[in-house]
Amino acid sequence: MNALRESYGQEIDQILAKYPDDEKRSAVMPLLFVAMRKDGYVNKQDLEDIGEIIGRSSTDVASILGFYTLFHDKPEGKYRIQVCNDLPCALRGADEYLDNLCDNLGIRPGETTEDGVVTLEAVMCLAACDKAPMFQVQDYNGVAYHENQTVESTMQLVESWRAEGGKDA
Amino acid sequence: MNLYNPLKVVPPLVTGLWTTFKSTLKKPVTIQYPEVKRPVRERYKGRHELKRYDNGLEKCIGCALCAAACPADAIFVEASENIDEKRFSPGERYASTYEINMLRCIFCGYCEDACPTEAIVLGDNYELSFTDRSQAIYTREMLLDPVPAGGEPTPREVEPGSFDRSIPEMKDPA
Amino acid sequence: MTEAVENQVEEQAQPEEKLVTLTIDNIEVSVPEGTVLVDAAKKIGVDIPVFCYHPKMEPVGMCRMCLVEVGRPVFDRATGEPVLEEDGSPKIQFGPKLDTGCTVEVSEGMVVRGYTEEVVDARKEVLEFLLTSHPLDCPICDKGGECPLQNLTMRYGPGTSRFIFDEKHHAAKHVPLGEIIYLDRERCIQCARCTRFQDEVVDDPVIGFSQRGRSLEIVTFSDPGFDSYWSGNTTDICPVGALTTADFRFGARPWELKASASVCNHCPVGCNTTVNTRREAKSGGELVIKRMMPRQNEYINEIWMCDKGRFAHHYTQSEERLTQPMVRNEVGELEATSWEAALDLVAEEFKAASDGLVTLAGARLSNEDLFNIQQVTEKLGGKALQNTHMAGGELVASVGVGQGSNLSDLGEGDAILVVASDLEEEAPLYWLRIKQASERGATLVVANPRDTKLSSKANYELRYSYGEEAAAVMALLGSISPKTPGESEAVKKLSRGQEVKDAATAISEANNLVVLYGNEGTGLATSQSLADACANLLVATGHVGKANNGLIAVWDKGNTQGAYDMGLVPSEDLAADLMSAKAAYIVAADPAGDDATLAEAIKAVEEDAEKFLVVQELFLTESAKLADVVLPVQANTERQGTYTNAERRVQIFYPAVPAPVNVHADYAVAANIAERLDLKLQKVIPAQVMAQIAETVSDYAEVSYTKMAEVEEQWPIISSEDVFYGGTSYENEQGMGQQLQPASQGGESPALSFAQVADAPKVDGLLAVPVTRLYDRGSTVVPTELLSERLTPTSVVLSPDDAEKLSIEPDAEVTVKLNGTETKAQARIEAGVPQGYVLVPRSVGIALNSPSPVEIKA
Repeated sequence: MNALRESYGQEIDQILAKYPDDEKRSAVMPLLFVAMRKDGYVNKQDLEDIGEIIGRSSTDVASILGFYTLFHDKPEGKYRIQVCNDLPCALRGADEYLDNLCDNLGIRPGETTEDGVVTLEAVMCLAACDKAPMFQVQDYNGVAYHENQTVESTMQLVESWRAEGGKDA
Repeated sequence: MNLYNPLKVVPPLVTGLWTTFKSTLKKPVTIQYPEVKRPVRERYKGRHELKRYDNGLEKCIGCALCAAACPADAIFVEASENIDEKRFSPGERYASTYEINMLRCIFCGYCEDACPTEAIVLGDNYELSFTDRSQAIYTREMLLDPVPAGGEPTPREVEPGSFDRSIPEMKDPA
Repeated sequence: MTEAVENQVEEQAQPEEKLVTLTIDNIEVSVPEGTVLVDAAKKIGVDIPVFCYHPKMEPVGMCRMCLVEVGRPVFDRATGEPVLEEDGSPKIQFGPKLDTGCTVEVSEGMVVRGYTEEVVDARKEVLEFLLTSHPLDCPICDKGGECPLQNLTMRYGPGTSRFIFDEKHHAAKHVPLGEIIYLDRERCIQCARCTRFQDEVVDDPVIGFSQRGRSLEIVTFSDPGFDSYWSGNTTDICPVGALTTADFRFGARPWELKASASVCNHCPVGCNTTVNTRREAKSGGELVIKRMMPRQNEYINEIWMCDKGRFAHHYTQSEERLTQPMVRNEVGELEATSWEAALDLVAEEFKAASDGLVTLAGARLSNEDLFNIQQVTEKLGGKALQNTHMAGGELVASVGVGQGSNLSDLGEGDAILVVASDLEEEAPLYWLRIKQASERGATLVVANPRDTKLSSKANYELRYSYGEEAAAVMALLGSISPKTPGESEAVKKLSRGQEVKDAATAISEANNLVVLYGNEGTGLATSQSLADACANLLVATGHVGKANNGLIAVWDKGNTQGAYDMGLVPSEDLAADLMSAKAAYIVAADPAGDDATLAEAIKAVEEDAEKFLVVQELFLTESAKLADVVLPVQANTERQGTYTNAERRVQIFYPAVPAPVNVHADYAVAANIAERLDLKLQKVIPAQVMAQIAETVSDYAEVSYTKMAEVEEQWPIISSEDVFYGGTSYENEQGMGQQLQPASQGGESPALSFAQVADAPKVDGLLAVPVTRLYDRGSTVVPTELLSERLTPTSVVLSPDDAEKLSIEPDAEVTVKLNGTETKAQARIEAGVPQGYVLVPRSVGIALNSPSPVEIKA
């Protein structure tokens, strides 16, 4: 049966209610967010479930999932460090900072540390050029900006997350 | 009438004999083939060879462009799929059958020009003789160069993903 | 009266399209309003290069390859008069930028220039962009040689690139999208032709784009991957080598292939195909079929074909083929012998059997074969039977679609009724063309006991129980003309709903009506009454005897219609017929393999020393194993012949590969037997057999190989020179076939009795009903290894409710007790199946000729 509907039935109905009967497929974006809540990513079963709910093929749902960078289709770190390396930030040393951070964490941008605590990403402008190098951490609780960073300060933060227990916390 | 005039006959005869006499003193141009062989010219077009890379992999990827370019329709190529466990050449494709009919070949070298990997090269060997028409068909095994020192024979097992391109990566011409 | 006249005027006015005149590259052309520039240019032989545009799909303007200069006449705002140049010609205002020729529609007085420096530069730059990361794969790419990107680069592209080498983008090669189609991500130029084809044309959106920009890739999330019957077509229209088939992978370079025209015989559509062959060292230098490609015929398959037709050709060159005639010796074993000896024996035994001869022919045979076989049987006074469970061949001959019909002509104001057919499974191309007709505005009425893929396109969906097929049609007819006599319970019940009444109104108001009936859940008897009912409906509404009106039977085999036309009839009780035979002549059929009860009958024939069994086949089938004489024959790729499709279009197929030395065509074998029976039949040239058919069978009087080989101009214009436009589908140079005239079109008024309408059979337990699946386990499909994972397993399909009642898990193994036999089968559970019924796919290992009670045990 439709596992997604079983877990979030009421919420899904509320979402669907916002769209006219013949345009239920428009509900795909909010439904993807719902599906991502539990594990932070959308798995293949979720795709099929969403497809079934809105009457589209799972491939259709997958192409929407793939198009947007804020939807994820594989398990990733608990904390998503998004470093801005757009031009103004790069001029303030963001590129160098990112390279060093990569070396320290032992991963490349787009990858996740082995303990599953951190996923590192390079992103475009976060509107904090004056306080670069900077990064944001984004999750369901909101967005946290960490500005004027050095590799040392970031690593301290990462260590504190690790101390919290990483993924299982 | 003139033939009986000694003045008209003798001088040319002497000239001729003088030439002969001069030649007897010269070093002969003939050689004792097959014991002795004359080296061929640099751009001589002899029997084809299928080249290998230094690591022993075959350069030929079975694209059949040589067969397409061949004005005598002397080449027959059949391709198959390479797998990492049984690799003949870099990339996805290799020539599982490669035949040249030397009776049809006119040694024009178009195949060489058409080859995208410089796999087929017209070599120095001109000693092509057969006692049977079917012997004139040179197969892949006959045409392939021996494995160079340090290389491994084909087919061979390679690390997955290490030879994923058929055509060598082009260098920046700039 | 006045109303009728008005209608007529309207009808006449409809086909007149408004023409627009414009100038393209200094050539004036008039095309219908709404045509896009690329198509208009194509009509006068001017090529505007394209990648993403395809004439069979909606334009999207993604690739920018078709950029041209477009100018429009200037009009004086005050007077509305066109402004003139000094020389008196209209002033043309060109756009500030280039326009895409695939999205701009023609307008009056428009001037298009595709040769200016600006346009040439634009094309060069678009190609430079596309080639930034396109790999240097042409030598090893299966598309190389028939590749739009390659061709257009040679014609319009730059010789060098200005892009930085190190930034060349590398992506995964050889990504399987399922086991049939491979994706090379590097080669993809993101034109979306494949995804649009799957979505727009065949309604199977199982591939899509994921990611964006340079990371864009084609993905599939279906199970199995790229789960569509149409996947092969995407490789035809892919303008690069990004999508290729596993079947042809590195098979040959396109220029090395020989092409030969053929006609597919897997289903009654009769798709035109081209067989590509090449000599192969792996097969000892034999000419081998490398691939099947669609051949354009806008009356039949347009430029498409289904995957079964494309890939299931391997049986023709299977190792298992019979190569010499065999006769059963004293020890009871089949022993190779000469044709002379075998035929002498057959003729002698046939003569002895005389009118005790029973002939059973399968409809994968050509008309020529069937004719000669029928003639042999008739000469002796025997019974000529064909192996089918569908009735109505005479009705189609009488009220079939009229000469000049083309399903593509159906649209607004027309109606189509599809009864008892899972059309995509039974005849994929009919599904496609009916779906397209519905999209053009034709009213589609689908009557079926469960949802099929066509249901989503239906304007009216009629539900009935299995067994009430004819009743459903009679209910429609009853709503149109209340005089319909002899109403049964079922008809009364089915007439009640509003849907039926609305559908009946729509049908009665339609300009043209085509009725298709299939074989979903029908046996021979129900098929007969269904065909009768459909014919009744057509005659009562006056939709017979003209083009685009009439009956189409979605036959179970490729040439069933031809078999009917040649005088072969289905047997009501095949087992009894076989038992009663003194000699049985079985051609291209395997009753023993199909059905255990028939196997018993055949065994009885075999065991009886008095009786004689001849099997004429490609393979040593179960029936052949029991035969006294086995005669090997040629496959349809090895010889010439004709098939008659369900619309009664007779088409020629040509030999593509040489036949094995010691086997002959079916018509020749039959003619050789005939010769020994003092009957003169043509045995050398199929065209001569056809001449004899034309003399004997009145419907075929006009048919000749010359006329069938005629071609006409088709739109879109497909040719090998410009693969960028229509794809690699082959141009039709070998003939469009000849459509027969149904008797009703010849002025004969069809004599019809009203259909015998039965009520749905009542059973206490479950009722098993036969259904058709495209990928069955027939002897012509199984030898194709590529499809092995997709073939329908030996299975039955249950409704979720029944499965729960019997506590059967999905895909569990169950025992099926049917007609006295027990079979192990996989239980599949599908939501659409009506409760109380078990669907039994045909030709997958469980024999079922007509609905029967069944017992399922977990």
